[in-house]
Amino acid sequence: MKIVILYGTETGNAEMLAEDIGDALDADHEVTCTNLSDFPVGEFDAETLYLVVCSTYGDGELPASAQPFAEVLKAGATSLAGVHFAIFGLGDSEYEETFNFGSKRLAELLTQHGAVQLGERATHDASGVDLAEDLALPWATEAVALAESRFGKAA
Amino acid sequence: MTHKIAIVGAGPSGCYLAQALLKARADLGVDLIDVLPVPYGLVRYGVAADHQGSKAVTRQFARIFERQGARFFGNVHVGRDVTRDELRSAYDVVVFATGLAADRRLGIANDAAPGVVGAGAITRALNGHPDAGPLPDLGARPLIVGNGNVAVDIVRLLGKLPDELTGSDLGPEQTRWLAESGIEAITVLGRSPAAQAKFDPVMIKELGKLAGVAITVDNAGTADDEHGQKLLDALAAIDGDGTAARTIRFVFSHVPLAVETQGGRVTGLRCRTVQGDEIVVGCTSIVTAIGFEDIGDLPRADILAQADSAAPVYAAGWFRRGPRGTIPDNRADAQVLAADILADLDGVSAGPERPGGTLFEGPRDVVDYPGWLRIERRELAGADAARCRVKICDRAAMIEAACHAEETSS
Repeated sequence: MKIVILYGTETGNAEMLAEDIGDALDADHEVTCTNLSDFPVGEFDAETLYLVVCSTYGDGELPASAQPFAEVLKAGATSLAGVHFAIFGLGDSEYEETFNFGSKRLAELLTQHGAVQLGERATHDASGVDLAEDLALPWATEAVALAESRFGKAA
Repeated sequence: MTHKIAIVGAGPSGCYLAQALLKARADLGVDLIDVLPVPYGLVRYGVAADHQGSKAVTRQFARIFERQGARFFGNVHVGRDVTRDELRSAYDVVVFATGLAADRRLGIANDAAPGVVGAGAITRALNGHPDAGPLPDLGARPLIVGNGNVAVDIVRLLGKLPDELTGSDLGPEQTRWLAESGIEAITVLGRSPAAQAKFDPVMIKELGKLAGVAITVDNAGTADDEHGQKLLDALAAIDGDGTAARTIRFVFSHVPLAVETQGGRVTGLRCRTVQGDEIVVGCTSIVTAIGFEDIGDLPRADILAQADSAAPVYAAGWFRRGPRGTIPDNRADAQVLAADILADLDGVSAGPERPGGTLFEGPRDVVDYPGWLRIERRELAGADAARCRVKICDRAAMIEAACHAEETSS
């Protein structure tokens, strides 16, 4: 399957996680890993699974590298109909009111433009005990399985 | 031959630079050199003990050493153990990323009186920095001067109840100091109007969660831009928060004029208000959180001049830009600098093999990355339900932990 991992990052933690997910999926799939800041919204296609990894920064805001992408989506009438994505968020429950709002905002934005979200949004808590990759790798495997049944073909 | 790059300072700027360099050119020989036996600088000693989420960037930095091939040379004091000239001849490129650790002084009468302490000095002591002095007696009514996140960190830690420090890596001595502080009232005073304060709104909002304080915000005024309005909203959200006996009060638009003392002790800060009146804000101590400057350990002006010249010397992070910008700002900055360094190296042959890290061989106790991991394992072994780590705060004990393999447990 064609998989594009898109990450929105501020400190680099989401980028590192995106690369880990890419390494884990690389053997069985055609994987690329791209910063949202380098991904034109016109490049989405219906044959690809998009795995989105996005942190939260400041007061529940999108991280810096996701902001230009979000601005373009907000400004235009881009249709993401037929696009499938799953999303994983990074956040810190020290800031409980806005915990993982970055990934929440981004998921909303993608679905508002017609993209289909596969599975529940998964989240990591920097103040929790789990390592991000221990949650994200099973999430990615699950998302790939959902996409395979949705796309009606294996790998 | 591959190029050898020395980065002086293994804090966030140095680590992000090494990360960006090695991501672009995995063959480079990158060595991070630190005056301390442990890496990560400000992340370990500046980021507050109760902000462990912010310290999680060290997982990225660990990979620089574990997967990207960078080496750590800790407990090496450039300028004393090795000279800058020796470093320059041992490496193709030298980068200074030593930060700015000295507290800027108020620059008013009596600003060095006993009872006037720097926020950086307190932060280092709270974070168990091996060279930090003892934690000071702040008395019952400390006054914090400054409107940035460093000031908020101090207020938050001073205002927290012991339970609210669960999960931090605050040490036992520091925990006792906070618990026994006897603080009744904290004043946070800024020279500018509230809307121009440098606080992050999210840091202000976080104060609203403290159970052991009652917060008031005086004369916050109005804002004429979006950031200012967000800040005023955050301040309004915590104004009147809590009913505890211990108070936190924010005061804005007060220009410090002189430190008032009696019998050699601080009794207040003379200020000019926005109306032009002179008043004295009473206090038992003054914590200055008005920015940082060079500690003067390395000749910064000379180094910055070299960095501007054609010499293969560069400066990064706060040491280059001054004390502004967050950890992610320094990541972005490091990525730009890495591109500059790589462009300068492009097409330049590394020439004869340079000695690189062999420069540090000899009788002194250099702590390498495996040595740091031994220190860290010992620190993590002390963790319990209340603390995620028990830092080793003494330099000799760090070196001992680094250089001696731990007893194998039975």
